[in-house]
Amino acid sequence: MDERLVDEFRRICGLDAVLHEPLQLMTYECDALPHLREKPALVVLPGSAADVQKVVRVCAREGVPFVARGHGTGLSGGALPVPGGVVISLSRLNRVLDIDIPNKRVTVEPGVTNLEITRRVAPFGYYYAPDPSSQQVCSIGGNVAENSGGAHCLKYGFTVHHVLAVEAVLPDGEIVEIGSPLADAPGPDLLALIIGSEGTLAVVTKAVVRIMRRPESVQTLLAAFDSIREAGAAVSDIIGAGIVPAAVEMMDRLAIRAAEAAVHPNFPPADTILIVELDGPSAEVRELFATVEDTCTRAGATTIEIAQDDEQRARIWKGRKAAFAAMGRVSPNYYVQDGVVPRTRLPEVLARIRQLDERSGLRIGNVFHAGDGNLHPLICYDERIPGQSALAEEVAREILTYCIEAGGSITGEHGVGADKRDYMPRMFSQDDLDVMQQMRDAIDPRRLCNPGKVLPTPRLCGEVPGPYREHPVEKAGLAERF
Amino acid sequence: MVPTEMRAGSASDAVDGVVPRQVIEPASASELGIALASASRDRLATIIRGGGTKIDWGRPPVTVDLVISTARLDNTIVHRHGDLTATVHAGITLSRLNQELTRYGQWLPIDSAFDEATIGGIVASNDAGPLRHRYGTPRDLLIGVNLAMADGRLVKAGGHVVKNVAGYDLGRLISGSFGTLAVIVDATFKLLPIPQASATLVASYTDAERLAHDAALIAASQVEPLAFDVRVSAVDARPTGSTTHDSCQLLLRLASSPSAVDAQIESVRRLALPDSQVMAGEAESSVWKEQARLPWADVGAVVRVAWPPAKLAEVITLIRELQQMAGGRVSMVGRVGAGAGLLRIEGDDLTQSAVVRRLRSSVFVGNVTVLRGSRDLKRLVDVWGEPTASMKVLQSLKRSLDPAGILNAGRGPI
Repeated sequence: MDERLVDEFRRICGLDAVLHEPLQLMTYECDALPHLREKPALVVLPGSAADVQKVVRVCAREGVPFVARGHGTGLSGGALPVPGGVVISLSRLNRVLDIDIPNKRVTVEPGVTNLEITRRVAPFGYYYAPDPSSQQVCSIGGNVAENSGGAHCLKYGFTVHHVLAVEAVLPDGEIVEIGSPLADAPGPDLLALIIGSEGTLAVVTKAVVRIMRRPESVQTLLAAFDSIREAGAAVSDIIGAGIVPAAVEMMDRLAIRAAEAAVHPNFPPADTILIVELDGPSAEVRELFATVEDTCTRAGATTIEIAQDDEQRARIWKGRKAAFAAMGRVSPNYYVQDGVVPRTRLPEVLARIRQLDERSGLRIGNVFHAGDGNLHPLICYDERIPGQSALAEEVAREILTYCIEAGGSITGEHGVGADKRDYMPRMFSQDDLDVMQQMRDAIDPRRLCNPGKVLPTPRLCGEVPGPYREHPVEKAGLAERF
Repeated sequence: MVPTEMRAGSASDAVDGVVPRQVIEPASASELGIALASASRDRLATIIRGGGTKIDWGRPPVTVDLVISTARLDNTIVHRHGDLTATVHAGITLSRLNQELTRYGQWLPIDSAFDEATIGGIVASNDAGPLRHRYGTPRDLLIGVNLAMADGRLVKAGGHVVKNVAGYDLGRLISGSFGTLAVIVDATFKLLPIPQASATLVASYTDAERLAHDAALIAASQVEPLAFDVRVSAVDARPTGSTTHDSCQLLLRLASSPSAVDAQIESVRRLALPDSQVMAGEAESSVWKEQARLPWADVGAVVRVAWPPAKLAEVITLIRELQQMAGGRVSMVGRVGAGAGLLRIEGDDLTQSAVVRRLRSSVFVGNVTVLRGSRDLKRLVDVWGEPTASMKVLQSLKRSLDPAGILNAGRGPI
């Protein structure tokens, strides 16, 4: 990058807050999807929203692409740098600006971690509901970008249900308030478009989030089953009884073994375990919990363990939330997939995944949010064995095909990012995608804000849809696909 | 199928007093697309009509070239009860949908003040009632849409799984857009089981501070109501009239299993509202029906306002001040948890506009929107209020999606 520009960024952010040595840049080459890597020209670490705005203005003026980055825990390459571009790391914007208990809202900068909000309001009996498994480290800015969910979103919804307003820097450098801390702002819900847009429409510099009162009672049980089918039937019966649990999670044998090896949650050695959590007023939880317990027994649970206190509950959740990382204990490499199917199609799709496990020769662990049909197959492979990385990717692709065929989605919470943009045409028609592209161009006409994410690489003019064929312009060496 | 013909508009098609030149009722999404494409080509000022219950909301139109009615997009309800989702054609009324869903003990927990309100209109206005306390506004339950764009393309966003982050959330974007960006063909929602039992506590107050104090106690407690409303009645300002007798009320609805409802009533009464009246069954249903309809049940302008939930006492004090301005004839129903309410203001246009201006000058009340008002009132005050900072972004989205500027032209929020 032009030395003049580097100096300009240094003047904005400070000498230490501009990184461009190759060794320094390495940290920023990827997010938590390490097989996609790009080297940015520069990383800036602005210390205020005003500095973010100045950085974006320079990028806009110079036509330099930029990528906002939180704490790099994303699983779809949403924070993958653009070669020659700038990474705007928001980690220094990490202040909790306001805690307003009477109005149940907290104002934070984007670099504040998800769990930090709960930590700050817990003394008052409140918490922040969305709880992605990475909540100890992931940033609110990243949560807003990805519309993050978590185990408890079955009952409480996603980030979009808990953010009231944001301050954001638009791709042209203008800073605006989007949404309203008050209810019923008139007009289209622009905030809901920004949330989940994966950093392609704006850089969020502040968020006002809603906090909730801790429920009076929480009850958690862990039921062991001899088959996924029985566990699945238990889930259907619970939902069929008109119960909306706070969370319903399932793990299969391989995932259980991995979690056990990593964090010793003391899970029973079952084929499948089901974790069901109910929360709410004590009388309600007591009554419904008995129904849940009974339902699990009738569905064939071999053992049922009820968390007797917060410590036991925390142990169960630790085992569940550590499941991704724990796969490292049972496999040298693993690929985390994220797909969704209508809940009633779970048994059929899981059966297909098990067949795929046998056919491909790669072990596939399953950890998933059974209440809302969100699957997280963990595909184990060894990159030292030639061909296995490619095979793992192929298996991951195949699983998404099952999800699409079952009427589901290619991503429930990890986002499309750079990883799945080319799957988008399998869920959406060209017209659907064109309208999304039009919306993006309306906000970022120069395509500088996190380019190459969410939407598939734009087709060349005159190209016919369908499987890849070399375009005449490419053939003639006049253009190339990027 | 014979393609639907346009017909000339009649007095019964009038939008805020303006008779449209033409009316069309497409019988399918593709017919809707064709109608829109041709309207775009001819740059016709076009208004979309569902049940027509909120058709007069917005700025008064100068001319209306075309009304597109979704009345015939009314033949599909796909209820996936095992998945707790449903896909519904835009022209179907909320009440008809909920009748269907009841068969499996499920519902789309949105309440409308209007029996004829359609799903399309409910999404386009994001209008919500008392149930928003637990379930949010319609956009919070929306998981997918099929839309007809102004150029006639039929596109979808979202899907029919409850958890899905693939692509831009066009469905939530059009929530509250009042037909300015696209036309809703159908919508897919997340559904909920209908609670087994419910009961409502009603407590009356003469003192705003006392009411706000109780409301704050409940809001900070672990009671989880289905709905939590406030009602401030108009006062009789004639010299002989009583002015303050039981002029405001709190309504707290609890819903769960029968024994859990009883237990929650006990805990609420220990905490606050010891002398409240408990209502159940038919009586309870009619209280809530009345609560949803109250702002619309009589003459006057209807204005939507929002406030920080902890400012309830100040809001009631402000209403008292407005009552002084308007000869007592200002009333409100509001949502305690969300900090949102509807004011009904009687009196002449000048009085009503003065009340709206006073609301807009308040330091804590915001998002003041005139929903119902005479054309004269709408000339005196802008119905949508000052544009927000993000309006520029919305306008560029509008130009991109509706380049001919036909959709609810000049009337909607953008």
